[in-house]
Amino acid sequence: MFSLVYKTLWRHHTRSLLTVSGTAVAMFVFCLVGSVQEGLRRLSSGVDAERSLIVFQENRFCPTSSRLPEGYANKIRELSGVSEVMPIQVWTNNCRASLDIIVFHGADPQQIQAMRPVKLITGEWRSFRDRQDAALVGTNVARRRGLSVGDSFSIGEVSVHVAGIFSSPAPSEENLIYTSLRFLQFSGGVDAAGLVTQHEVSLTKDADPDRVAAEIDRVLRSGPVATTTRRKGAFQAGTLSDLVDLIGFAHWLGYACVGLVLTLVTTTTVMSVQDRLKEYAVMQTIGIRPMRAMRMVLSESTILCMLGGLSGTVLATVLLAVGGFAIGAEGATIAFRPSLGLLVSGSTVSLIVGLLAGFTPAIQAATLPLVNALQSEH
Amino acid sequence: MTLVELQNVTKSFTKGGETITPLDDVSLKIPAGEFVSLMGPSGTGKSTLLNAVSGIDRPNSGRILVAGTEITRLTRSQLADWRAENLGYIFQTHNLIPVLTAYENIELPTLLLKLTSAERKQRVEVALEAVGLSDRAGHYPRQLSGGQEQRVGIARAIVAHPKVVVADEPTGSLDAETSEQIQVLLQRLNQELDITLLMVTHDQDVANIASRRLTLDRGKIVDSMAPQTTT
Repeated sequence: MFSLVYKTLWRHHTRSLLTVSGTAVAMFVFCLVGSVQEGLRRLSSGVDAERSLIVFQENRFCPTSSRLPEGYANKIRELSGVSEVMPIQVWTNNCRASLDIIVFHGADPQQIQAMRPVKLITGEWRSFRDRQDAALVGTNVARRRGLSVGDSFSIGEVSVHVAGIFSSPAPSEENLIYTSLRFLQFSGGVDAAGLVTQHEVSLTKDADPDRVAAEIDRVLRSGPVATTTRRKGAFQAGTLSDLVDLIGFAHWLGYACVGLVLTLVTTTTVMSVQDRLKEYAVMQTIGIRPMRAMRMVLSESTILCMLGGLSGTVLATVLLAVGGFAIGAEGATIAFRPSLGLLVSGSTVSLIVGLLAGFTPAIQAATLPLVNALQSEH
Repeated sequence: MTLVELQNVTKSFTKGGETITPLDDVSLKIPAGEFVSLMGPSGTGKSTLLNAVSGIDRPNSGRILVAGTEITRLTRSQLADWRAENLGYIFQTHNLIPVLTAYENIELPTLLLKLTSAERKQRVEVALEAVGLSDRAGHYPRQLSGGQEQRVGIARAIVAHPKVVVADEPTGSLDAETSEQIQVLLQRLNQELDITLLMVTHDQDVANIASRRLTLDRGKIVDSMAPQTTT
């Protein structure tokens, strides 16, 4: 019976291919929207987001406007609950929302190696430590910009030599370029000797992040610059608040894609069954059970939907894997990464929508009055 | 031995405020192996009777027994199973599945039976041979003539070795020469394979090939050339 379903779909191959293509495009968009949402979720959740604090200048948002004394790190280290502090100079080519944002993090190379979840794919830590203008480039940036070890590259007045390319389990890390703190402080256009953009604070296991954050702000209030300290996840979500609203709205686009697929496959299946009511009547007259006729129609809609859905999902996954896409603002970035979750949700949605789309025409095929259908033209 | 029995079967429906009764208290017995033709003017209930015997239409009252099974008591699914095992249906317009070859169309009913693939293959080949279309097995319906299509339809009706075969104007859409070939084929099926046949036709010549000829008028059997039990 499966061959009958296959041959029926092939008989109207133009209609079937158009339906599969439409479904593929819709599921492609669905997966892209899903990857953006996953990226946002990853940014504001997880151990790193919950157990690290970011100390930023009070009432500042763009990294170029936050200028904290580097020496604050020593004061913060003395507080209870703090295990390590990493002063970071941030430089970005664009404080506004952009799909090709370049973000430099200048920090002590030893601390980067010890505190950041990065793994060198190519290059060496030693050459990063030894050369002043050396940079470690995240895989996403390297892919977007076509960079490899040994290349030199300039953005604005910052010129670096690529000493290594790194990957990270935290996708947003892969949109960063690490340099040494001293290099970035003294690079043209930054001019931040003794100053940093932010301090990243690691906490001890038993520390209460909110209590430590409040304590940091209280202690540093007596210094030359007041601070605002937040959990890293909350800091990043706050920095990207405009984008967060947009991304939150984008989930409706995902639902619209599912609705589009449902409408498309339902229309095709209804047309297909309407064209072949007599065939279904003949098959049931021969002895095919109504439930089997129903299953045949459900198979048709599910095959169309799964073919299109899986094509769109796989295409989106491949594109996300090789494209290294990210969106960022104010020096924070959201990475669009493929994931098993996306593959599973794309496939599951395709399966469910396929079954739903075939339900009404399947009932029609299974319950049609045989005598009337046999007398009809189609 | 009676194979098909209708007991006081009535079928009526309302159309445009008028009650139409295509079958009016019809009783009939058809012994196994008999070839019965049903004649009568249009709208006198021939096809309704055929459909009732096939279990694709339900009478309002009365009982229909085929090979000991009271099919008027079966559900739609049970009727489908029953038809798969006991009934072959020859349509006027052939009604082959256009995406399947002649072989696959004939094979379709056997897929519903518990047969091995070798048994299935053998049955299809025998049926193809019986209708003289072994050399057209791989052809699609659009590649066959009207007569060849009807022969495939007949092979499909007999391949499952049904107890009874019904035919609704099997020569109605064919030219005279092809019609004659189909008549000969139906006679052979009845005589050589001992298949019980119930055939509706408008054509007196076609009706004459049957061993018994029934005439319906206004829902009642009014004439029988070999009267056994008619009302």
